[in-house]
Amino acid sequence: MQEVKYIRDDWRQTCLDALAGEGYVVLGPMRDGEKVRFRPCTTGSDLVLDQVNSDYPLKEAFLPKTERLLAYTFGPGGEPAMTPPEVATQKLAVLGCRPCDAAALVGLDRVFNWDYEDAFYNQRRRESLILSVGCSTSDDRCFCTSLGLAPDASEGSDLLIQPLPDGGARVTVVSDKGRAFAAAHADVFGPSSTGSPPTVADVPVRLDIEMIKPWLDAHFADDLWEDISLQCLGCGACSYQCPTCHCFDMVDETHWQQGERRRNHDCCSFSLFTRHTSGHNPRPTPASRWRNRLMHKFRYFVERFDRRACVGCGRCMRVCGAGLSLIEILKTVAARPAEKPVQEVTA
Amino acid sequence: MSVQSRVEPVGAGVTVDYRPYRMIVRKITDETADTKTFRLEFADEAEGSAFSFKAGQFGLYSIFGKGEATFCVASSPTRQGYIECSVKRAGNVTVALHQLNEGDVVGFRGPYGNCFPLEAMAGHNILFVAGGIGMAPVRCVIWNVLDLRDQFKDITILYGARSVNDLVYKHELAEWRARADTHTIYTVDPGGETPDWDGKVGFVPTVLKESAPSSIDAFAVMCGPPVMIKFTLPVLLELGFSKDRIYTTLENRMKCGVGKCGRCNVGPWYVCKDGPVFTAAQIEDMPADM
Repeated sequence: MQEVKYIRDDWRQTCLDALAGEGYVVLGPMRDGEKVRFRPCTTGSDLVLDQVNSDYPLKEAFLPKTERLLAYTFGPGGEPAMTPPEVATQKLAVLGCRPCDAAALVGLDRVFNWDYEDAFYNQRRRESLILSVGCSTSDDRCFCTSLGLAPDASEGSDLLIQPLPDGGARVTVVSDKGRAFAAAHADVFGPSSTGSPPTVADVPVRLDIEMIKPWLDAHFADDLWEDISLQCLGCGACSYQCPTCHCFDMVDETHWQQGERRRNHDCCSFSLFTRHTSGHNPRPTPASRWRNRLMHKFRYFVERFDRRACVGCGRCMRVCGAGLSLIEILKTVAARPAEKPVQEVTA
Repeated sequence: MSVQSRVEPVGAGVTVDYRPYRMIVRKITDETADTKTFRLEFADEAEGSAFSFKAGQFGLYSIFGKGEATFCVASSPTRQGYIECSVKRAGNVTVALHQLNEGDVVGFRGPYGNCFPLEAMAGHNILFVAGGIGMAPVRCVIWNVLDLRDQFKDITILYGARSVNDLVYKHELAEWRARADTHTIYTVDPGGETPDWDGKVGFVPTVLKESAPSSIDAFAVMCGPPVMIKFTLPVLLELGFSKDRIYTTLENRMKCGVGKCGRCNVGPWYVCKDGPVFTAAQIEDMPADM
């Protein structure tokens, strides 16, 4: 049974102040032009929580769209000298991410600590504190419940906050880190109240996710891949907005005597993603790339990291210019028999 | 077989910050019209003496300002103090590599990936089959084995290229041929021979079939272009080599080299982490994603 606390009023500002008091830089869903993305926040009322979810995923806080891995300068004779990579020293806290985004971090943690540990991701992530906010609204693209998650799921969060009608909030203590933080701020996180319960969004289970992997296991070659890919523009927007997609590119950029090696988000929909210098491409067609995308999320990732690389946030569908629906694709797969029909051997 | 059971955590607990070693280009050898071998030494002696690798592992070589490219280490781990890579001029980074002079500085990250099972191969016969620039990873194993010659039984090297001009490591080919403890078969594709060519003329699979090296108590190490692998593998099986004892090394486009950037996978297999060295049995298990 998880410990439950109660914040009396204006939980946004109270939490922000408590986090700032511990030296955290707090990232929250903030308006950035027309979009909502995670940005440093000091004023509680700036948090955008009336939108179903932020437009951009939480992963950007820990795996930025672009970041410098290495800097170097060229001397008078052109000889390069490296300067040590910059180490992020700020402690990051997140306030106001949705439970799906918090759960996605669990998958990213596994990727960036699988065997080799990624210095840059972990520098941001190890000290971080995740205060997610449960969903009271959803839309028809939300399908977390089909992935074993929920609008009030706590996986990946340190504290799960659920706003209450009285202006306060119910706080579920999830991790040891969260417990320590709540204990250190007992004035903020008081004993739980017996008042009205929080509103939890109703997200219907849209498909049987258990049907997906058995079908993928048996259908590397299938017409479905071509069918899906014909509808896809290959623009990669779904990957950039996906909280679990972690693939990246590494490029050198130079300006006069200065140079740097950067890591940028990348996407498996692009033909250049896998193309060899020789011109050979292991995944030369949109169909083969779509197969890899779905296989990676619902089969390979499961085999290697024991979870799916999808949390049902629905962003890929909200952003898709072609109106492709991952829910519909998964429904199609779930409706197919997992086993290939046995072919009769004729003499 | 689950993917997890295949993974040997070689880098467990190792933090990777993608910072390369600073390497000095010590020697450049022209192999063919478009392929050069670079001998790189560690600029920092302490880094160099702490560095070790195993035959088959790869690294990311970089030109500052141009980027990184993935190649196997083509020199043997028994030759310490330097690493070598053989590079065909093809893309941005390789063109820049080809413009280097001796004394220039490049970057190297690694070693990454798994290796050829030299310990299991000790005490057995070894057949090396290489095609074209595919000789680079094979050469690493050949020198490793030759430097520990008394640990292995018969050694046969079958190497083919499109033409005499396309054969790499020509001086070493002569050196291997001159050795009494090594059996060599060199061939060039029909039409690729020169008047003074004294090797065979024929494609690698054909020449392999004709020379029919014994598969008894033997391992095979093979690397070459996909079309060579495709037609050579059946010949090896026909000769009686076991799928578990035919080793090859795969290449795929990579960025990180350490299982993060998500592009080198062949189906569920990550070339950077589960490979680059695979057995023929494993390759057979792989989906058509190459």
